[in-house]
Amino acid sequence: MPEYKAPLRDIKFLMDEVLDSEQHYQNIGATDATPDMIDAIVAEGAKFCEEVLAPINQSGDQEGCTWSEDGVKTPTGFKEAYQQYVEGGWPSMNAPVEHGGQGLPESINIILSEMVGTANWAWGMYPGLSHGARATLEEHGTPEQQETYLTKLISGEWTGTMCLTEPQCGSDLGILTTKAEPNADGSYAITGTKIFISAGEHDMVDNIVHIVLARLPGAPEGTKGISLFVVPKCLPDANGEAGERNAVSCGSIEHKMGIHGNSTCVMNFDGAKGWLIGPENKGLNCMFTFMNVARIGTSIQGLAAAEGSFQGALTYAKDRLAMRSLTGPKNPEGKADQIIVHPDVRRMLLTQKAIAEGSRAMIYYAAQQADLVTHGEGEDQKAADEMLGFLTPILKAFCTEAGFEAANHGLQVFGGHGFIAEWGMEQIVRDTRIALLYEGTTGIQALDLLGRKILMSQGASLRNFTKQVHKFCQANEGNEALKPFIEKLTTLNKEWGDITMKVGMNAMKNRDEVGAASVDFLMYSGYVCLAYFWAQMVKVAQEKLDAGTAETGFYTAKVQTAQFYFDRILPRTAAHAQMIAAGSDSMMAIDEENFAF
Amino acid sequence: MAEYKAPLQDIRFVMNEVFEAEKLWGSLAGTQDVIDMETADAILEEAGKITASLIAPLSREADEEGCHFDNGKVTVPAGFVDAYKTFAEGGWSGLTGNPVYEGMGMPKMLGAQYEEMLYSADISFGLYVCLTSGAALAIDAHASEELKQKYLPKMYSGEWTGAMDLTEPHSGTDLGMIRTKAEPNADGSYSITGTKIFITGGENDLTDNIIHLVLAKLPDAPAGSKGISLFLVPRNSVDDNGVVGENNNVTCGSIEHKMGIKASGTCVMNFDGAQGWLVGEVNKGLLAMFTMMNYERLSVGIQGFAAAERSYQNAREYALDRIQGRAATGPVNTEKQADPIIVHADVRRMLLTMKAYTEGSRAFSTYVASYLDIAKFSDDADQIKHANAMIALLTPIAKAYMTDRALDSCVAGQQVFGGHGFIREWGQEQLVRDTRITQIYEGTNGVQAMDLMGRKVVANGGKLYELFASEVKEFIAAESDNPALASKLDQLSAALDRLTEATEYVIGATQGDADAIGAAAVEYLDLFGLTAYGYMWARMVAKAAPKVEEDVFYANKLKTANFFFSRLLPGTLSLLEAIKSGSEDTMALEAENF
Repeated sequence: MPEYKAPLRDIKFLMDEVLDSEQHYQNIGATDATPDMIDAIVAEGAKFCEEVLAPINQSGDQEGCTWSEDGVKTPTGFKEAYQQYVEGGWPSMNAPVEHGGQGLPESINIILSEMVGTANWAWGMYPGLSHGARATLEEHGTPEQQETYLTKLISGEWTGTMCLTEPQCGSDLGILTTKAEPNADGSYAITGTKIFISAGEHDMVDNIVHIVLARLPGAPEGTKGISLFVVPKCLPDANGEAGERNAVSCGSIEHKMGIHGNSTCVMNFDGAKGWLIGPENKGLNCMFTFMNVARIGTSIQGLAAAEGSFQGALTYAKDRLAMRSLTGPKNPEGKADQIIVHPDVRRMLLTQKAIAEGSRAMIYYAAQQADLVTHGEGEDQKAADEMLGFLTPILKAFCTEAGFEAANHGLQVFGGHGFIAEWGMEQIVRDTRIALLYEGTTGIQALDLLGRKILMSQGASLRNFTKQVHKFCQANEGNEALKPFIEKLTTLNKEWGDITMKVGMNAMKNRDEVGAASVDFLMYSGYVCLAYFWAQMVKVAQEKLDAGTAETGFYTAKVQTAQFYFDRILPRTAAHAQMIAAGSDSMMAIDEENFAF
Repeated sequence: MAEYKAPLQDIRFVMNEVFEAEKLWGSLAGTQDVIDMETADAILEEAGKITASLIAPLSREADEEGCHFDNGKVTVPAGFVDAYKTFAEGGWSGLTGNPVYEGMGMPKMLGAQYEEMLYSADISFGLYVCLTSGAALAIDAHASEELKQKYLPKMYSGEWTGAMDLTEPHSGTDLGMIRTKAEPNADGSYSITGTKIFITGGENDLTDNIIHLVLAKLPDAPAGSKGISLFLVPRNSVDDNGVVGENNNVTCGSIEHKMGIKASGTCVMNFDGAQGWLVGEVNKGLLAMFTMMNYERLSVGIQGFAAAERSYQNAREYALDRIQGRAATGPVNTEKQADPIIVHADVRRMLLTMKAYTEGSRAFSTYVASYLDIAKFSDDADQIKHANAMIALLTPIAKAYMTDRALDSCVAGQQVFGGHGFIREWGQEQLVRDTRITQIYEGTNGVQAMDLMGRKVVANGGKLYELFASEVKEFIAAESDNPALASKLDQLSAALDRLTEATEYVIGATQGDADAIGAAAVEYLDLFGLTAYGYMWARMVAKAAPKVEEDVFYANKLKTANFFFSRLLPGTLSLLEAIKSGSEDTMALEAENF
């Protein structure tokens, strides 16, 4: 099983050198977040992830969760690790001070999420799912609800869930049927069945706070008749502690492809007591306020997969001997050379590396935008909100698709051993596969990007971003070292707009054009975004090299990885562009009943 | 999980109409009198029935249960032993076996179709049978008359199973490093000692004997791959009357815990002075393996698209059944709360991608099988030579391209199910896990790409490639007046030009850059595969177009072809660009700077 080492140098490179986080934190008034402070937090978090979480990753997968009438038992060591996590104060790091949090910006928490997720994704989902519940209560809860639930969620004493999906409704929440009937005391009786509820039941804490989507009697049909409720597993007693059991129970857990250490629950609400959050029938609107952050959270799974599988594959590729290098033996005293000498093995490693480091840059950048949304003001805040809205579907879908690809490369580097459980590489593939499905499938994200975000804003949200890229390209026009990168990026940046315009025109004539183009469009956008972030990293690395540095290897590797990305992966845009241009005809022509005989 | 239904109409279309089996078999000396179309069709029909009714229903549970290991014994999942007995009685293990030793002598073009159905039903189950056929093939090609008489009839009848023992802990891709040794005994046999890993079906409780083909080194053998010999080592000794006796010092040490194909026992095999017999010549073991390798590699490719076919059938049923969201162009299912998800363009994109690749793969595997038949059954030396050249060129593509696209397809089939695709009971995630190994074993897809780019293309200056290119050009020329193909021939030509450009580029680049082959190999294989599928789809269109009025089946072939040409073939653009960036980017980074 691959050992996890937090990529501290890469993290620092982004924070200090590429994204100038010091200036950023000053801008948002987070004066505590100095580079030294961040280094210390990250180092401490890294230690926890490497020493506590990573060692129970594989055992957690093999043991899985066990369901009984009394509840769900998590794998050995999970509960203890969670206690340490709470004692370390990690849950409250990014929470508002007024609710007992430490008030640090989201972007610092994202680093921790990356490390936790790479070390042990299934474990990380238990505290991770609390964020949705927290954000809901923070934004829309009454002061009383905040006092009762939010404080405990922030301290980590309790965890939270989001109960959305039902057997008949996943992507299409408009058809959900869970109902909420008003009680005399102002509370509601919630009745219905929710499925795929991550961390819906477990043994780590003594109370779980469910945020449930349900319909009030007489509510309008569709998505406009959905309200949000807070429904605790145990009703808080007079002291605010977990008291009497509410009528909420876990009916079963799913047997899944991966994330075995995390319980995926069927939750039954049998007249459970709940309280309305926010206005009636505005449940979905309330959810959208934090959907962006939740989706960045899922995009990290792609980054984690790429980073984790890269670390495993790199160690193996430097160790495993097979065949000789075609340019002559590199390990003459051994019977064969390390497989890292072979171009095809390097191709896989470099692809993983380019995806991991590029995704990290994109995600950390988006996290800064999230900071601005939370802490910024006026125009800055509005601009950040738009930017984040634009980037979110790309991050969620592209980073997870690319991360899944990277995980598969990692498995492939191991040859037959990659297929064997004990090496841990196949677990990464299985665990990551879900990232392309939950929090809105790739297809749903693609529709969100092209339909809601771009075409509904008449292209404004895309132009916002392409303008920024354009500015960067212009500013670096005379830079000889950057020339090949800037040229390519300039061309693609322009083409991106042209493609969008064309799809928009076609969509006016035929609504199916959006769906037909969407996933190719999203992948195209992802590759161009990644190119932009790689170009920024090259710029910084090249400046360091030019100025003279003791870390020549580190910075040269950045330039070389970017070159690989631009030459070998970025050309995929050409195919996507042509596929988009092909339109919807060939997709819609075949009759439903004729798909097979 | 939807019930598996053998796609017989599609199978008959490629075998009978596109590749004209009747004409081919009628023209070959070795098949003329062995097979007629009625027999072939009866075999297809029966294969469709038995795989769908006997094996497919076992697949889901067998994955959950897996194989059990206890003190050297491996127990297969419930139902497998009985199903295997019934299946073996049908003579399927010997379908393409040599009739002299009681095989049925059927051509590969037919065998390929049967294998598809078998693997669609369950890859794990299929492996026990197909590895037996594979081992029998090597024995038939290289073993002594005595060994053949003793072992082949029982393997063809399925009474015994077979296994191939190549890999060792430190040597997988690089077989030159194996350590298992073979010491000559006084009676002409050999004493085999060593440990083999990843031995599929190495031990099982399906039958009372297992025939291992083992690679080992003689005491004075040269180092590396030129010092490897092949031995037949039965698990239990067999006396002159064919009666199975004591264990022959062949034991299973453990089985692997794997991502998929859990119902297939993947064994560590220990040989402790086991008695074995040389197959073929001393130190020519790898060469002997090559005969069957082409068949085995095609077979692994078939595993891939067979799983993709199953995934497609499930996804299609789900997409028609599951209602979610409304069609972009307005509700189509007005009496319900939502429309079936097949109305959504993106769901169709996934289904059509699966369909276009899977049907393209079926055509391609049939095409490669037709050359295997020519090579084996023709009596015309030139025709055999040409067929062997095409087999050499196309085999790595059949193995790697078919399995790569199969994984993509199975992942898409899982995606159609949304969150349910991640849940085991639906079966879609199992198909992803089962298919993942096909990209690895029988030579990883990277190794296939090196074989294609290095040995099959660069080593002969593109001569083999020219054979393929001229075949495609002839087709294009012959069909140039066909209105059904008009724009498609242009697209095919453009793809072929790109492939030719890539071929010339890499051959040129190898002058002075030894890494050029490795750096281009995988993208080159992809480009080749995609172009070859373009050729396959064009051939299917040529046969389907005249019949569109006859049956909507043919009209659908054209619609799927349209999707392939407009939405998948453009991939050739990106691949060429990546190839032409050369090897520098791949090799520049120092190992310690990763």
